[in-house]
Formats: sequence, structure tokens, C-alpha cells
Amino acid sequence: MADPDNRPGRRKFLKDAAVLATLGPLMERLSAQEAPAAPPATSSASRAVSVLITGANRGIGLEFARRYAARGYRVLATCRSPAAAPELKVLAEKFPLVTLHTLDVVDHAGIDALAQSLADQPIDILLNNAGIGGGAENQLFTKLNYDSFGEVMAVNAVGPIKVCEAFLKHVQAGNQKKMITVSSSQGSIGSVDAPRLYWYRSSKAAVNMLMANLALQLKGRGITIGLVTPGATDTDFMKGLPKRMLRPVADAVTDMLREIDRVDITRTGQFVDTTGERLPW
Amino acid sequence: MTTIRRFAVATLALLALMSVGAGYAADDAAYVPTVLVTGANRGIGLELAREYAARGWAVIGTARKPAEAKELKALAAASSGKVVVEALDVMDLASIDALAKKYEGKPVDILFNNAGVTGGGENQQFAKNMQWDLFDVVFRTNVVGPLKMAEAFLPNLVAGQQKKISNVSSSQGSIGTTKTGTLYIYRSSKAALNMVMKNLANQMKSKSISVALIDPGPVDTDMMKMLPKKMLRPVATAGADLIRITDQLTLENSGTYWTFDGTVLPW
Repeated sequence: MADPDNRPGRRKFLKDAAVLATLGPLMERLSAQEAPAAPPATSSASRAVSVLITGANRGIGLEFARRYAARGYRVLATCRSPAAAPELKVLAEKFPLVTLHTLDVVDHAGIDALAQSLADQPIDILLNNAGIGGGAENQLFTKLNYDSFGEVMAVNAVGPIKVCEAFLKHVQAGNQKKMITVSSSQGSIGSVDAPRLYWYRSSKAAVNMLMANLALQLKGRGITIGLVTPGATDTDFMKGLPKRMLRPVADAVTDMLREIDRVDITRTGQFVDTTGERLPW
Repeated sequence: MTTIRRFAVATLALLALMSVGAGYAADDAAYVPTVLVTGANRGIGLELAREYAARGWAVIGTARKPAEAKELKALAAASSGKVVVEALDVMDLASIDALAKKYEGKPVDILFNNAGVTGGGENQQFAKNMQWDLFDVVFRTNVVGPLKMAEAFLPNLVAGQQKKISNVSSSQGSIGTTKTGTLYIYRSSKAALNMVMKNLANQMKSKSISVALIDPGPVDTDMMKMLPKKMLRPVATAGADLIRITDQLTLENSGTYWTFDGTVLPW
């Protein structure tokens, strides 16, 4: 990706500035420069609450779209291919406040373009739902498929933080100011038992870290970061598992909706299970 | 698995444990343990190579550009063949496979995954300067590389006596102790490393291989040269800490995330 800051001299400088590790005090100062912004001009009180959902075409994302639409929210339902999302189209026909948008979270230019096209729209809840499992068979140690690692990371970790960055102004202009990411209990390092899903788990640990950082950075601006988990849910994503091990999508979404409603700036950056209990990192 | 095979595995595991308890020198005076250190050309990696060499170990020190690894080459030249320098870029999976092929059938006692990059603090500032392409480089170096090393050298580790994988992690990878919104890419790579190595620790117990994640603290290396010297720990101290913790690594405490003084870090 071309970047004006990528000049060799600057790169050298940046490399030299590659300071790290336990430089707590220095980093505190760097962070402190990010002065808390003044409360934003609140949008009209009559405006419907708006939510942008990634991966809204099926599974949990689709159920989120349905539930928020039923609440009367403005739902910006995004997916890679709206043309191939018949359920979303039906939803949009029933609820005029539901709109469909093309978005692939690995396409950063596409993310920027959508953010630009929605520049005048406040977003109350940004919901990073899109995610991939990567295929359990690709993540068995001694048979690791290294090609799948990059894709899983790009979708599950880099995509969400890029979406947060691109839509920062929209969320800042919203009333609720929530950036929520659907994480997974599989991303809890402290809960690892049987070894499996090396790529998927590390992508979720990575997104947890990214969002924990973001929570600290954006707290001063009144933006709340949430990490919610669906539990094992009966979606295409989990189709290899026996049905009896899986929860209905509606139950998973009910639990996450409750947590998203409940989370506020005092709980920003927390990683919670389906009952709202904090999960170990 | 037949009962006999199960018995054989259990016996071998027991023997391995006993040999750890008794110490190698006493058991087998002729045995020279081998450590494989990635990124051994400078900083902590070079120090690890020096200290293991001083113990009389065989050291395989890797570097992306051996031609430029003057100190490592000098160490090798003075080692009567005990220290060897190998070209390896942990981002290049084919080069890892090639090195593993070269050492096929040779035991490796400790794999020290030391090579790592930060990506530069300036390049990972959310909403200010986030170099998105950096994720790929940092994750391939800090996460994929170490795991691929473990996979490629697994037969060598199984053939070794100590059977240890030691990873240089960082306290910056501790999600639970994050205090600022900085170093997004580096930190998430170390959290991801911790996750894959925790999985690996659990998976490798049946092969009697133990896995450590160790934070060296802020160390006086090229990586940290922007920091005031007084904030930094001497590289020799950090190297000694890493080796001490690796010495104390067992199957029982495998998968633990330690800081240099032996304190367990929160994930």
C-alpha cells in the first residue's frame, strides 16, 4: 500500500523510534497527548438509533440485523455480497430503515470508501461481527496450513480494528458511542484446554488485545469498546459440530444484545461470556 | 494403542523425567546438549548463543544475513566447531524447512525462539499512523515463525534430552496489564504468540516437550535504543534470566508466561 510516510528517510526514523517493552511512563505520556475530545454535537433526538453490522448476511450477523430492525433501529447491514443475501433483502423490504451495503473487511480501500459514503451518518453501535473459523483441519499442529493464517488474521483481527478506525468519526457523532466486537471464548488464553484452532484462537486473542488497547485510547472520548461472545452457536460457521452441542442463534444473539445494551464506559474493554461474566484473557 | 506401546511410552516419559532430575552430565558425560537460537546475530539472541557456548553446549545460531553477523561468526570461529551459524529468515517458511532438512536426525535439546520485530511504535498508532501492512510482517515474524520452527524441528526436539521450546515473549503481550493504547500490532502479535504456544504446551505434553513464554524486560539492545540507558537492563542480565527460567522449565509448569524475575504474568 502506498503511503506518503513510507519514504526511506522517514522509515529509518520510524525504525529508530521503534521503542518498546516496559516503557510504561513514556507510553503514558504519548497517550496523554490524545486529549479527550469535547462532547460531540448530539444528533437530533428523534433520529433512530443506528447500528452498522459487518457480516450481516447470515448466522449471528443476520439475527442481529433482524433484532435491531425489529427494535426500530436504523440498520446498516453490510456483507461481502448483498446480491447473494436474500434474507437481508427480505428484511430491508419489511423495514425501511434497513439498508444493505457491500463490505469485505479484508478490503481496506472498500472500508474507507463505505465510511466516506456514509460520512454524514452518525453510528451509535458499530458491530464487528464478520469472522471466519479458518477450517479446523487447517490448524492442526504438525499439519498446519500456513496460508490460512493470514486470512484468519486479516478477517478476525485486522478487519475489526480497521473498521473501528474508518468509522471513528461516525461513532464519535453517535449517541451511544459503542464499538462492539464479536470475539469468542476460544480467544481466552487462560481457558485453553485441548489444543486446537491455533489460527482462530490466536486471531481472537489478537483482536482482544487490539480492542483492549483501543478501549484505553478512546475512553477519554467517551467511546465504549465491548468484546462479546456468542458461545457455541448453530450457524454455518459451526456446522461440523453435532446440533445438540450448539445453541440456537436467537439465544446467542439475545445474550449478546443484552451485553451490548448494558456495556458502558465504566465497563469498556471487558471480555465477557454469554452471561456477562468476565472471561480470563 | 496396545498396552505394550502405552507402557513403552510411559517408561520413556519416566526415563526422560528421571534424566532431567539427575542432570545430564551425571547420566551421560559424553552428551553435549544442543540449543537452536533464532536471531542469534545480535542483542538477546547473541547473548543466548554466548552463554550456552560458555556452558559447553553446541549452539546453532541463525541469522537472516550471516555475512553481517560479525560477533556471531567470531563466536563460532573461537568455539572449536561447537557454535555454527546458519542462514535463516523466520518469515521464510521454506528456509525453515530447508534448515530442518539439513539437521534431520540430529537432536535439538532447546529451541529458543528469539527472533522478533516490533514494527516500530510510530507505525502502529490508531487513527494517527497505522501501517496496516505491518501486521503481516510482525505476525509472520513473531507468531508464525516460532510456531513453524517448532513444527519443523519437532523430530529434533523429540530426539533431544531436554525437549524444551523457549519463546522470547514480552510483557507487552499481556492483555490483562495493558495500560495504554499503544503498540497495537506488536502487542497483538505477542498475545497471539502466547495463545499458539499455550496450545502447543498442552499438545506437546504427551511428547514430554515443555514450552515457555518469557518476557526479558526492557533490555539494552538495538531494539530499545531510543530509551534512556538507565531504564534498560544489561543484555547479559536478560540472557542469564532467560536461561535460568528455561533451566527451570518442566512439563508441570509448561505453558506458563513468565517475566524475567520468574513472576507469572497475567495473559
